[in-house]
Amino acid sequence: VSEIVLRVKRAPALRVDMRGVLPQRLAALSPPEIERLTVWHGNERLALAELFDLETRDAEGAALRFEGDLGRFDRVGAALAGGRIEVAGSVGDYVGVQMRAGAIRVAGSAGMFAGCEMAGGELTIAGDAGDFAAAALPGSMEGMRGGRLVVAGNAGERLGDRMRRGWIAVHGDAGAFAGARLVAGTIAIGGAVGAHPAFGMRRGTLLLARAQPLLAPTFVATAHDFSAFWQLLARELATLGAPFDALVARTPARWVGDLGVDGQGEVLLAA
Amino acid sequence: MIRNGVTIDDTFAEAFPMRATRLVITAHTAAWARRAAVSLTGFATSVIGCGCEAGIERELPASETPDGRPGVAVLIFAVSVKELAKQVERRVGQCVLTCPTTAVYAGLPAGEPIALGRGLRFFGDGWQIAKVIDGVRYWRVPVMDGEFVAQETTPAVKAIGGGNLLLLARDTDAALAGAEAAVGAMRAVPNTILPFPGGVVRSGSKVGSKYAQLPASTNDAFCPALAALVAKTELTPEIRCVLEIVIDGITEADVAAAMRAGIEAIVARGAAAGVLRISAGNYGGKLGPFHFHLRRLAEAA
Repeated sequence: VSEIVLRVKRAPALRVDMRGVLPQRLAALSPPEIERLTVWHGNERLALAELFDLETRDAEGAALRFEGDLGRFDRVGAALAGGRIEVAGSVGDYVGVQMRAGAIRVAGSAGMFAGCEMAGGELTIAGDAGDFAAAALPGSMEGMRGGRLVVAGNAGERLGDRMRRGWIAVHGDAGAFAGARLVAGTIAIGGAVGAHPAFGMRRGTLLLARAQPLLAPTFVATAHDFSAFWQLLARELATLGAPFDALVARTPARWVGDLGVDGQGEVLLAA
Repeated sequence: MIRNGVTIDDTFAEAFPMRATRLVITAHTAAWARRAAVSLTGFATSVIGCGCEAGIERELPASETPDGRPGVAVLIFAVSVKELAKQVERRVGQCVLTCPTTAVYAGLPAGEPIALGRGLRFFGDGWQIAKVIDGVRYWRVPVMDGEFVAQETTPAVKAIGGGNLLLLARDTDAALAGAEAAVGAMRAVPNTILPFPGGVVRSGSKVGSKYAQLPASTNDAFCPALAALVAKTELTPEIRCVLEIVIDGITEADVAAAMRAGIEAIVARGAAAGVLRISAGNYGGKLGPFHFHLRRLAEAA
């Protein structure tokens, strides 16, 4: 099996919709067939050959690598069901949207709606993620439903909005409404958070490693020993490195809410 | 075959397929984990009357448990997955959920999942919380000392029950000392338990009885009281006390390793210590598919 490398020739004039360009699909095609695949560029369809130089290398499993500036390429890895995608630089909006399995690694930053409604697999962003990462798409009742999103930099607003299941770890800061309307799942944030964290959360966990935000009055502190559960959580997060690796030695404060809704969620303040 | 004066009979132990699971019980201190494990594995000597056979496999240091607290690994064996699931739920519900500070986790990597916290969570009366960590679902149930954490399921695997050694000794003191030495050596073998009190059973049984309602009755061929009375005895006049050690294990190799360790311990003590013969219980080889031949084990030792 070979790794397919797509190198951006020059930045396209308009945004390109990359849905359907997935490693398992490409692995079954010959290089000329891949080059003839078309994607939307604005309101016209372009062959991949017009946008990318193609190269193949030996690799393990189905793999797809993007090189160059993909800032105008949206929906990279959308609905991914297996295989690996690597993006050597930054990528546009909707990266990994509705992915179900496989892995996507972005070496730069991602635009908005990264990992929205993802249901499985792992999305790793070495830079920052824009607003609505792992959230619900407009009109949808549920955001992320499984898998794992790791952002080494910062995340924008509405991180994990309406998330239903899965894991999110943001090493840096997150914007306003982090974990808002959380239905269930786990969000860990290493740095600061914006206003209204966990607003309207029903169940699930928002863990803040350093931030000490003012929570809404609809959150109440609980006082009990939950060290067994805490060690399970902290040990798993420790595999992600700093700042999460220091959590094992701490005893967080626990707040429960949002009592305005179901009130079975928790905010863990580990600072 | 005679080793260090100890006669090893040309016979075999006959063992049966069972289903087993391993649970890891942790607590705030090793003492409380131990108390939960002792309670959980109580009244679990034989599937005939207890529903399962269970025992403490070993104590776990904090570095080996999922939550970094001291713990105990227990093995539970039953005749079917259904019965095993019933016993696990009842015993964990009554003996671990109730024990201060404990948490309970699956101790095997793979197998057919049976409920662990899945049913017990309802004790939380709606306040229970599920949490998936690294693909594993846990339940957190609020209790008066904090919360009870239980993994949702535990895998059940095929296992083997009924490996055994019979220690034939010249008197009670010698039989007990020999059995204790053998149990000490056998307890160190991983993936096995010795379900009887102190690992030892004195009421070995044969299949059937003169009473129609009894499926099993005393093993008269090994009863010193009956040596001069029954039609067929296995005993010679110098044998005055016989004790049995029963072994349940995850695999055939585990049971064999435990039996070998027991034989080695008795042989090392020698006939002068009072255990004169080692034998084993079987039913003619027709009932159980696993046969552990004593001489083969002794040769491999």
